[in-house]
Amino acid sequence: MATIDVVRGGERERHGIGWSGLTLQKMLADSERRFAETGFYAGLDRLELKECDPIGYEKIFSRVRGGLVSARETALNISASPIVRELGELCFALYTPEGDSVALSTGIIVHVHTMSSAIKYMVRNGWEDNPRIRPGDIFANNQPTIGGVHNADVQTFVPIFWEDELIAWAGGVCHVMDIGAATPGGAPVGPTTRYEDGIDLTCTKIGEEDTIAAWHWKRCELMSRSPKSYILDERTRLAGCHMIRDTVERLILDEGVGRVKTFMREAIEDGRRGFKARVRAMTVPGRYRSPGFLDVTFADKETLPARARRDFLMHGAYEARIGEDGHFTVDFDGSSAWGWHSMNATPSGVTGLMWIQFTQTLIFDDKVNDGAHFATTVVAPEGTWANLDKDECSTSGAWGILFPAYSGYPRSLARALQSRGFIEEVVGSFSTPGNVMQGGGIDQYGQMSGFMHFEVGAQGQGAKYVLDGLDYGAAPFNPEGDMGDAEMWELMAPLLYLGRRVKPNTGGLGRHRGGSSFESAYLVWGTENYELQNILTGAVFSSPGLFGGYPAATSYVHTIYGADLLDRAGRGEAYPVRDGDFEAPEFLEIEGDRVHRQDALTMLRAVRTGDVYVSVMKGAGGIGDPLLRSVEAVQRDLDEGHLLPRFSESVYGISDRDAVRRRRLESVRSVSDWWAEQRERVLAQDLIDAVRVMYAESMRLSPRWAAEFRGFWDLPEDFEFDILTPTVRAPASVPGKVTPAEACAEYLAGARAHQPPGDAAQPGPAHSGGVTAETLGDLLDERLGRRQVKAIQSGPKDLDRFDKWVAVLQERVHYDDPIVLPFGEGLNIVRQRQDGELVIRTDAGADLCRWDENWKMHAALRVRDTTESMRELYPAMAHPDPEWMELREFHCPLSGHLLEVEAVPPGHPVVHEYLPDITGFYEGWLGRELPR
Amino acid sequence: MPGAQRTPRVLAVDAGGTMTDTFIVDETGEFVVGKAQSTPEDEAEGLLSSAVDALRQWDTTPAQAFPQIVSGVFSGTAMLNRLLTRSGLNVGVIVTAGHEDILQMERGIQTYLGYSYADRLHVATHHHNEPLVPRNQVLGVRGRIDLMGAEALPLREGEAREAAQQLLDAGVDAICVCLLYAYRNPAHELRVGEILAEEKAARGLNGDLPVFLSSEFYPSRREFPRLNSTVIEAYAAEPSRATLRRVRERTAAYGAGFELRVMAAHGGTVSIDSKQLATTLVSGPIGGVIGAGWLAERLGARNVICTDIGGTSFDIGLITDGRHELDATPDVARFLLSSPNVLIDSVGAGTGSYVRFDPFARRPEVSPDSAGARIGVCWPEGGVDTVTVTDLNLILGRLNPDYFLGGDIDLDVERARREVARQLAEPLNLGVEAAAAGILELFESSLRNEATGRVLGKGYSPVDYTLLCYGGGGPLHVAGYTEGVPYAEVLVPAWAAGFSAFGCACADFELRLDRTVDLPLLPVHPPEQRVAMAGLIEATWAALRESVAAEFAKSGFGEDDLRFTHAVRMQYYGQLIDIELDSPVSTLQTQENLEALISAFNAAYRSTYARSAPSPELGYLVTQAIVRGSVDVEKPRLPTFDEVPGTPPLKGGREVWWRDGFVWTDVYEMDQVLPGHAIQGPAVIEAPATTFAIPPGRQAWLDRHQIFHLETR
Repeated sequence: MATIDVVRGGERERHGIGWSGLTLQKMLADSERRFAETGFYAGLDRLELKECDPIGYEKIFSRVRGGLVSARETALNISASPIVRELGELCFALYTPEGDSVALSTGIIVHVHTMSSAIKYMVRNGWEDNPRIRPGDIFANNQPTIGGVHNADVQTFVPIFWEDELIAWAGGVCHVMDIGAATPGGAPVGPTTRYEDGIDLTCTKIGEEDTIAAWHWKRCELMSRSPKSYILDERTRLAGCHMIRDTVERLILDEGVGRVKTFMREAIEDGRRGFKARVRAMTVPGRYRSPGFLDVTFADKETLPARARRDFLMHGAYEARIGEDGHFTVDFDGSSAWGWHSMNATPSGVTGLMWIQFTQTLIFDDKVNDGAHFATTVVAPEGTWANLDKDECSTSGAWGILFPAYSGYPRSLARALQSRGFIEEVVGSFSTPGNVMQGGGIDQYGQMSGFMHFEVGAQGQGAKYVLDGLDYGAAPFNPEGDMGDAEMWELMAPLLYLGRRVKPNTGGLGRHRGGSSFESAYLVWGTENYELQNILTGAVFSSPGLFGGYPAATSYVHTIYGADLLDRAGRGEAYPVRDGDFEAPEFLEIEGDRVHRQDALTMLRAVRTGDVYVSVMKGAGGIGDPLLRSVEAVQRDLDEGHLLPRFSESVYGISDRDAVRRRRLESVRSVSDWWAEQRERVLAQDLIDAVRVMYAESMRLSPRWAAEFRGFWDLPEDFEFDILTPTVRAPASVPGKVTPAEACAEYLAGARAHQPPGDAAQPGPAHSGGVTAETLGDLLDERLGRRQVKAIQSGPKDLDRFDKWVAVLQERVHYDDPIVLPFGEGLNIVRQRQDGELVIRTDAGADLCRWDENWKMHAALRVRDTTESMRELYPAMAHPDPEWMELREFHCPLSGHLLEVEAVPPGHPVVHEYLPDITGFYEGWLGRELPR
Repeated sequence: MPGAQRTPRVLAVDAGGTMTDTFIVDETGEFVVGKAQSTPEDEAEGLLSSAVDALRQWDTTPAQAFPQIVSGVFSGTAMLNRLLTRSGLNVGVIVTAGHEDILQMERGIQTYLGYSYADRLHVATHHHNEPLVPRNQVLGVRGRIDLMGAEALPLREGEAREAAQQLLDAGVDAICVCLLYAYRNPAHELRVGEILAEEKAARGLNGDLPVFLSSEFYPSRREFPRLNSTVIEAYAAEPSRATLRRVRERTAAYGAGFELRVMAAHGGTVSIDSKQLATTLVSGPIGGVIGAGWLAERLGARNVICTDIGGTSFDIGLITDGRHELDATPDVARFLLSSPNVLIDSVGAGTGSYVRFDPFARRPEVSPDSAGARIGVCWPEGGVDTVTVTDLNLILGRLNPDYFLGGDIDLDVERARREVARQLAEPLNLGVEAAAAGILELFESSLRNEATGRVLGKGYSPVDYTLLCYGGGGPLHVAGYTEGVPYAEVLVPAWAAGFSAFGCACADFELRLDRTVDLPLLPVHPPEQRVAMAGLIEATWAALRESVAAEFAKSGFGEDDLRFTHAVRMQYYGQLIDIELDSPVSTLQTQENLEALISAFNAAYRSTYARSAPSPELGYLVTQAIVRGSVDVEKPRLPTFDEVPGTPPLKGGREVWWRDGFVWTDVYEMDQVLPGHAIQGPAVIEAPATTFAIPPGRQAWLDRHQIFHLETR
């Protein structure tokens, strides 16, 4: 029963279905008000159940989470989609009546909060009265403006009632094979408005009495190109939700409904506190910046409407601010505008990706739930790609921009973790998964079908501080990366694997290499009428390096229509089974109508039996100066096919590293020289349109970004890019100018790192585990085996790691001045004994600048802005056109140590990546004075 | 009865990592259990010492006893160790060209197989396994069979010849061939096999260098698990064959005339000459489930949940309607495999599990990692400084510090108490015992959830199941993890610590062969056509029967001795996961018979995924045809004794903390408990290898079959 009508005093009074007869709207409003007033979730300043019965509390938690994990493991067997069954793109969670998650299973955790948004949407919009929420009801949503990333992620909700009271919601979500969009697949590239995004479920009630309505089945059958797979996925989600409902009902029977409700509230507040404690223990308060970019090349795509046919660069302006009592803010202010393409996102999707990142890094072993949501803020400014100001935008390819935009997260967090000494946790930028091959048509069974290849679920992982990145095994969207068997994928589409091989030079080079990826080559087989497209074969760097490591390679498209491969094979001749070397692809020897070029996106094009399609995947960014990579490791890279031989010399200088360092110091220049020169270029707007339009959008959407841009280049207060930005409402940017020093000072003045009131100076004591200073030194010097590293990663984190870390580093540097804050590989913030200044010092002893300045402005710079200079590092077809993006290398002026590599479009200000709130860190978080 | 008058009939040996257990049964069903240190370098040594230890209890010796034994089963860890320590044969591999990196790339899933919830999320921890075959010994040959079994690209025989020569030049010990879709059409693999034979012959290597074709050994869809299984066959199983033969020779030297068999993952035993020997990779834990099934049948229990606690893990197996479940895509030692395993869920929670206080979340946590054989902080020699579950048991008095492993190891209770106080009680703001008892409750409640979750996940209720507990650590916690759960019965065999060896003795001599058929039976097919199409299954069954018979012929059994079971794996058309069922009919030549198979599938589907609607409207796909052939072998008999009323003599007593305080608790010696005896909790029954804890409010009595029944008073 949704609402209970009670006759009272002759009048009918409607009682809500929420706890204690409240309406869901009232519950949500109360919860939000209490949080706003007290800063505690639901106003819980004490966790009574947890404090009085810590064991009983944990028992309930383990039961709820166990129920969710087992629901997922059981339900995924029902699916017909390898995306769900083989690659695990499925996730379940339990929510409070007003939509806050209490616990979740493994899987695509991105959706824990997107489903929360959907439930809150139903609550806010009065679903309780219309269409009403009753026991046995089934709701479905995939509408990203309500809650989600793109339509292909379909959500199912089941309300859990106990004696007329809505106790909780079970929610399940998975990525479907084909969503019935204008073009086939799950993340179609063609749509330019949301009317082309496919099946649209707006928190729709699709069933009652535990049964999905016949009309819904019929609709799915009519609207998806892969109806079988769609229908079985629907059953998978529903079966899982029902299992969760059973778990909760049994829990209530055993524990009592009151205790379960108390638990649900406390678990979220507990999650909030645990998250903040973790942030305070493992990071440094401060401002972190790491932008990411996506190239969109639509100018030559004739099938698109005229308004969509343009080339442009999208700007993902990532800024993280960590402070207060451990609050984490991710801010996309300064990002580009939404546009007539599918790579737009919603705040729900933007929040979702943050969730994946948190759960894979900071809070993997804690209570993962919406508590973290209450400890974080996501700023997605209206009008940007992150928050459309028009409902008509397509979001089907939202991941396209979300990945590069969020590549800032791992890089920023890595800086904080490195400062605190948690080097075993430092992982550089993930690869941005692609090529995402999709298609459809008449398949090998003679039936119409749609298809999305998910072997992108196993790309390179970012390089680690203490190891190379995991090769072909990771995906930013799912912690459990996998690529599936060829014999499974060949069931799904009329494509025969010619090969699946490690792709050399995909991973970013560095002291530690970013994870490599692979390429798959296909022979179209068993169809006369199929179509294929490419997405995220980006031609600009999207997985940047860190601490001197280089970005991962870009990608390319290689398709041969009417290929003569079958003829050759029939004559008994050898034929290629891979492209291999980017620069000398083996398929060049196959004749036919060839498309071979760098192109971020291609439209559907017909293929038939005999055609060849190459799918090149991407690796991840490297970490550290490549000259510090051991010669043995370089040899291993050559043996295992990760590196093309010619780069062992040009990048790693294996025969004479000193010579490379000398050459570096000869080819560098001062940043101020370069700045003056570039300033003229910016003033003259001497940039390609695709880049100018990006700056114009960022400036028109964000007065702050515009002012900082002008401040960096010392431009007139009313400087403006002279180019049209058709999807931005403001015709021009707001005048203004802020120098970098002013911006830093303003941030630091407002930073207020502190311990939460009522909380002791530190989290509870830890008496066991953790690493000794000696082990930490061994870890740093890479004297530990893989197993030992894993044990440290999985083991408990020591609370005094920072002090051990500083001691370990102090012992290794050649100066006596005390290290106050480790500041990246080869850099420390040091207290100068002679004048008491805090400066940023390289390991070779160069004092670059004051601690709160951007040290890069004082380093020795080399810019690679020509094809020739890029080719020293990357083969042809593996790097961007320098008009779109350049590489800036910042070295120690004394030693030539490569400290940081920046991959940005020409004209971009030098990024000030890390501005620590150093006083707040010591006084607010560590509870002691800054070292004198 | 003196040894000379006994007739030992069955010998079963479980050579574990540290101890080798021997289980010997005589013709009356009486048994003895022997234990000895394992000898990994020559497992026959440990077997003999352990058998001597067992037979001593009957005043006899292997030389006297072995000639009388008619059935012998061995379960060892040598093969698994070869895999784990990467000390197998030097193998060469031939794959479809373009897939030469397959072992290096492996499947992403193998980088986190076996990880805890936290580490599955925690991507920094994921890592690749060291491949079993070096990259330069994996060579490709052009040619493709497509998913329908048709040749898409012709085999380039010259490349096969070059590959063969290159591998032979490299001096490999064995060669594996795994080509795409070879399970569907083995023509290319067979031809590569012929070329290999020719090249070997040219070098005078006839028969000396084994060749393993994936289509011959593991003809199932999914190339990566198929390749793994085939490579493991060459890498780890082949050299183990020699080890097993040595074991056979050593027992034969004592006059043994029985066929030595090995426990295989599908739940039957196979000859050591069996072709698919890699199926015996893990056998000890499987033995436990098989033993439980055997016991259940004799006790009349249809549904049993099998639980086993060791030092590092809690293993759960399920027997439903008298059958154990099979996992069609199992993994062992972080390798996905192609041959089915008896489904055992292993949870990282054992008596050696570490217990920590998480300072950020401020909560106690039983970790998935464990001290294993190093016990806990109570054993300073072990070098462990983090509290373990055993430490908690010790300070609560549930374990006897002077009788751990029969008193061979001294435990330091005071050290344990100090560390529990410092590491757990103080941060939790609880007393030492209250903290220890609370965390044990948490530990046991999570085991309880895991066990009941398995039952509930199948759509059954615990009242439908009998819980069976075994393993060294099981009896200590069984009362805790069954508390308040209405299982039909909770049983603890008195020989719980040697139960896996016992289970191996209970297994059938049974060979199982399967082959992928991928036969669709769709709504569009009229019934007559379906019957005609089902001829493919018939034909495959017939071929498999022949192969099974050929294997048994090696052990001297004729076709008349064999009993065949016909089975299939089947799914709704379009699904990816199939389920296995025994066919109710052995031929599909009539419409009725085919319908009977389909109905059996629908019923099996409903019981596997109780809550999801079956989808018959999609049609069906029969993915695999399976034949199991078995012959009769001697098995143990359930021992039966007269029951005598009363209680065993008291061994002593001590203060034990149960729920919320210390209670004076009687202590008994397990050997002195006789059938018919009942013991009221609180009580502790001790044996050298295990401790059975009976809390207040519970009682246990030993039945005439030597099985304890744990009840609630």
